[in-house]
Amino acid sequence: MNAMLRETETAAPLAIHGLAHCYEGVNVLAGVDLVLEPGSVLGLIGRNGAGKSTLIRAMLGLLEPLAGSAFVFGEPALALSDACKARIAYVPQQPEALAWLSARQMLDFVGRFYPCWDKGFAESTLERWQIPPNKLLAKLSPGERQRVDLIRALASQPELLVLDEPAAALDPVARRELLREVALRAGESGTTVLFSTHIVSDLERVASEVAFLHQGKLLMRCSVDETKERYARLWLPARMSAAAPNAGLSRRRHDDGSLSLVVERDAQGRWPEAANLAGARVDALGLEDLFVEIAE
Amino acid sequence: MDASLLNIQPTASEPIYRQIVEQLRRLIAGGQLAHGELLPSVRDVAGFHAINPMTVSRAYGIAESEGLVERLRGKGMAVIALRKAAQSESQRLALLEPQLEALARHAHELELPAAPVLRRLTRLLGD
Repeated sequence: MNAMLRETETAAPLAIHGLAHCYEGVNVLAGVDLVLEPGSVLGLIGRNGAGKSTLIRAMLGLLEPLAGSAFVFGEPALALSDACKARIAYVPQQPEALAWLSARQMLDFVGRFYPCWDKGFAESTLERWQIPPNKLLAKLSPGERQRVDLIRALASQPELLVLDEPAAALDPVARRELLREVALRAGESGTTVLFSTHIVSDLERVASEVAFLHQGKLLMRCSVDETKERYARLWLPARMSAAAPNAGLSRRRHDDGSLSLVVERDAQGRWPEAANLAGARVDALGLEDLFVEIAE
Repeated sequence: MDASLLNIQPTASEPIYRQIVEQLRRLIAGGQLAHGELLPSVRDVAGFHAINPMTVSRAYGIAESEGLVERLRGKGMAVIALRKAAQSESQRLALLEPQLEALARHAHELELPAAPVLRRLTRLLGD
């Protein structure tokens, strides 16, 4: 039984265990575990500096963590075979590779390494996303560079697509188009997607699951729908704050003595008892509000 | 039916799959969708709104289990429209449930007893 579990786990597109890392003595990752199922779209949220990029780089073996292990399609991330690399596409926040080529040259060159390269998609998307095809990559703006890299990633038709803050460089129209690509590929080709973002509404559209990276740990990893249905903000006026439940993902006392808590439904789907007191208020939360409540 | 007829608010606290089911319920109850009309494919809805196809499938699955639509082999989902009179009172009342729950919650927050709220509601209903 154990051997079977191990088997399915190692074959997962991404699997990490106890990943820990620090920069100059400051813990960025404090023991992160995560297994990504094929075909899932995981949105990773966290404040700036929360360690999202570090986590992504460590997952893909681009950085050697202080502790813990990372596997991509069952292979150790720090020693991936070429065959395995051909199944992955990763777009960093600030792509820098091959800057001496033009966008078209880079795509032609890179395309030869991928067995499923979609040349037509690369050409038409360059045009739609308004990239001058013959300008050197080094001369493009950071936003244009990231768009070229997104085209490179999508045209390789990867089985695992990892995007670090992909939305930052795109205008709303191109962003919507990227989300559409991500959603349909996950749904139809079974592409597994991991993307980090601070634009929570993007994640609410396409992500099947969400994870908050906060203080080096992953919090509340569950489906987007479940997050919205299972958590809410409970507000108690000052005179009732003693009735506050002890459990709660976050607790904030306001200047007037009233109290806000993020609460969770129990197994029967009920809110904590204090929610039923007269004067108490339960507010359903969107993902962004929930994130702010917890991260503050 | 066109996929653009659905109005998706990703940031709302109501999950997207529930927004879709709720809108289908209303469009069918209100007669905007006629009996036998085909729903847009999962792909069309997911593509138009840039949302996860699994979310759309889930919504369609719930609509099917509620008897709002039926799966026609090779064609997709077709609307089952019951004439209003054929819908039981409790089915029609169920459509009001979210608003009634919201009303009850607000009354509770304002610490209003049930009697004056019901009196006012009765007058609004004109009975």
